[in-house]
Amino acid sequence: MSRMSLPAELGLPMVYLVDDEDIVRDAVAWLLRSRRLLSQGYASGEAFEAALADVSRGAWPTAPACLLLDLRMQGMSGLALFERLDERGLTEALPVIFLTGHGDVPTAVAAVKRGAFDFVEKPFSNNALVDRIEQALAASAATLLARRERARRLRGLDELSEREQAVMRLIAQGQPNKLIADALHLSVRTVEVHRARVFDKLGVASAVELANWLHAARV
Amino acid sequence: MSMPPRLPMNPPPREPAVLPPIDAVAAVHPRRLRVVLWVALVLLLLTAQTLLVALAFHYRSTRTQERVEANAAAASAELAQLFAKDLQAMLAMPGRDAPAGQWRARAEQLLVARPELLRFERRDAALAVLDAVDTRARPPLFAQLHRDQMQLETELACGATQRRGGPTYSRSYFVPLADGFGLEVMDLCVAERDSDRVVGFVVASYSLAGLLDQLSAQAQAPGHDLSFVEADGARLAHGRTRVGAGVYKASRLIDLPGTTMQLQVDSAATRPSLVPDLVTGLVIGLSLTLFGVVVLLARDVRKRTRAEGALADALAFRKAMEDSVVTGLRARDLLGRTTYVNPAFCAMVGYAADELVARDPPPYWPPEQLPEYQRRQQRRMASAPTEHARDAFETTFVRKSGERFPVMVFEAPLLDSAARHTGWMSAVLDLSAQRRVEEVARQQQERLQATARLATAGEMASLLSHELNQPLSAIAAYATGSLNMMDAHARGEAPDPNLWPMLHQATQRIAEQAERAGRVIKSVHDFVRRREHAREAVGTDALIDAILPLVRLQARKSGTRIELDLPAPMARVVCDRAMVEQVLLNLTRNGIQAMQSAERAGEPVLTLRVRQTHAQWVQLSIGDRGPGIPDEVSRQLFTPFFTTRSDGMGLGLSVCRTIVEQHGGALDFANLHDAQGAVCGAEFRFTLPAAASEAPRAQAAPAVASMS
Repeated sequence: MSRMSLPAELGLPMVYLVDDEDIVRDAVAWLLRSRRLLSQGYASGEAFEAALADVSRGAWPTAPACLLLDLRMQGMSGLALFERLDERGLTEALPVIFLTGHGDVPTAVAAVKRGAFDFVEKPFSNNALVDRIEQALAASAATLLARRERARRLRGLDELSEREQAVMRLIAQGQPNKLIADALHLSVRTVEVHRARVFDKLGVASAVELANWLHAARV
Repeated sequence: MSMPPRLPMNPPPREPAVLPPIDAVAAVHPRRLRVVLWVALVLLLLTAQTLLVALAFHYRSTRTQERVEANAAAASAELAQLFAKDLQAMLAMPGRDAPAGQWRARAEQLLVARPELLRFERRDAALAVLDAVDTRARPPLFAQLHRDQMQLETELACGATQRRGGPTYSRSYFVPLADGFGLEVMDLCVAERDSDRVVGFVVASYSLAGLLDQLSAQAQAPGHDLSFVEADGARLAHGRTRVGAGVYKASRLIDLPGTTMQLQVDSAATRPSLVPDLVTGLVIGLSLTLFGVVVLLARDVRKRTRAEGALADALAFRKAMEDSVVTGLRARDLLGRTTYVNPAFCAMVGYAADELVARDPPPYWPPEQLPEYQRRQQRRMASAPTEHARDAFETTFVRKSGERFPVMVFEAPLLDSAARHTGWMSAVLDLSAQRRVEEVARQQQERLQATARLATAGEMASLLSHELNQPLSAIAAYATGSLNMMDAHARGEAPDPNLWPMLHQATQRIAEQAERAGRVIKSVHDFVRRREHAREAVGTDALIDAILPLVRLQARKSGTRIELDLPAPMARVVCDRAMVEQVLLNLTRNGIQAMQSAERAGEPVLTLRVRQTHAQWVQLSIGDRGPGIPDEVSRQLFTPFFTTRSDGMGLGLSVCRTIVEQHGGALDFANLHDAQGAVCGAEFRFTLPAAASEAPRAQAAPAVASMS
């Protein structure tokens, strides 16, 4: 039995379980508990959505989490719920694993193509399901970490002085310190100090990393 | 021609029928022609009438004239006789040598006997009157005037007598009488001779009117006026009647020695006039009748014209109808030759009308079936028209292009206006389109049925899996969770204080969910058991009839022949009809497909056989001539989801066996072997419980009663 270690600073991981069958919720919760995972059950898509009524994009979840979603339910179907969460941008840090019965496999495959984490056919092979849940939680944790890192860098970007920002742009364009110094009428030494401070504040190790991040963050 | 070159004109539509064409000229000016004809007819009739009347008049005139002529002839003959007798009597009178008294007595006697004579005179040779005797019936002739003044004609006659020697008549002369009237008188002079010497004369005076009076009744026919006339037409003497109209006259000359008299007969008949005449009346009556007839004829002709118009309208209507219907129409005479076809028929077979009419055999008969069609036609032609007042039969025709197509022919006897049977009129429907539609519909139905069955099976499976998935998932989760906990405990990890209560709870839930799964399975059983109540006694023929259309359709596609081997009387079985039909369909389809897939030389034949193998069991078997069933396949044949076909579900045979076994029967199979022992096909057989037949039960009833 593999135990996955999640970064402790993110808090306790949580497995959300949406299934209209009480016994399935109970059984899965029991199974997760045997693997020391917390879970929270919802009897319908509507109930889960109501619980998420006031969370906004990027602010939730704070701890690693994943959603175990039954595809075929009374009322709102699993797929509909997934689409609504996706529209609200809530699925970035909340990987969704679908539970499917016989005949729903094509639907589940389509859902995975649209961004669901995975699907598991009922009756599921139990510890394999938990393993998959832990992978999803790891993915969620990674997303959360990346999100934190990005937030930190953006804060660092705000802390940069005007001169430092100018140096940063030229570094990102790949210019050597000498040319930067000429362009900004600074000494090479001063440019080197600025460069070190930019790298430190943004938490990057190289000019390439800086350029990549700036490009990815579209700053 | 200054006409611009235009699109080629459509050729005039071919006259498909062989009806006599209506005379175009007569149709253009029918009215004027009719007026001319009528005027000519009336003129001709008038001319003929006039001629007839004229001829009738002429005939009557001729008849009258003939009668007058005959009368005149008779009268003149009689007069001649009269004169001859008188002459003889005179010649026989006593002569000069006889005593004087004797001549006188004789003369008086003659005057009495012959009223036409008025006077006798005896004269000497110098013509001096010696003696004279007058008739007593009249006043004396020469009382008014003396004889001497009136004897010029007499003297001339006697002179002639003396010269010629024979008696001579004088010309007539008028003697006035005392009463103011007068008489026309003629003398006869006879010489008295004494040995050739004339010694004297005897003169007799005739009254001309008296002469006419003496004629017999025949000569004096009523309505006829007799008279003597002079050459200039002046009348000298009249007969007794004076009725002559002066229209029809006849004259006869009476030649006498010395003079010639002219006798004239004048008929009382006048010219025929129109009104009082009978013949004319008749003719006029006839004419009137004729005119009446002409009027009636005219009216009749008008009626006929109107009827003709109506007939032409009806004909045009009929023609439009024949041209517009899509049903092919064909008329045949009693010998089977085509006499008429409509455009729809021509379009159907692709031949023009003149290629069809009077052709024997018709070109739309398939050449390979010619003898059979001819036999059939002879049979039909030989039968009485009343036998099939309106018959329908299906047959195959061939188009000009060589394509065969099925038709439905409705045939009815063709009667002429006198209700004589003259041939047959057929309506021909092209069934090829309908056949295509039927074929498509059948295929669709089959596909639909197959889809529906598949859908039902799929739905059932989906439902079942959903129902079973929930408890099974739960059971698996509890079990795995329990195992996880127990493993952790075994590894000596930090023990959960609630381990045992939790394990207990999990195990309890497992038990609950297992029971729930059991309930699902039981409900399936219940469903199957409910189907058992749908069983009924049904004839195996009804079962086979129900599936045959679908089987035939498949068979036709693959060219398979179907043989039925059914017992008589038909065995009856107790079964769930729909289920058993499904089994039969599955097995027949398998058989047909087995023969299709194999590369074989023989004709594909599917045999359906029904046998009552036991008092309580009926066996149905489906045999094919496919490649048989290999051993490795036969072991798995009834395993669910086993299939040798790429598109098969693999449920067919296992479901079939389940159904048969639910009925208490058994399904098995065997390869068939030919005479050389090689596999030549496979046969699937299954048994169903026989229905207790009605008749034996009725017979056995008393025995059963006594046993119970």
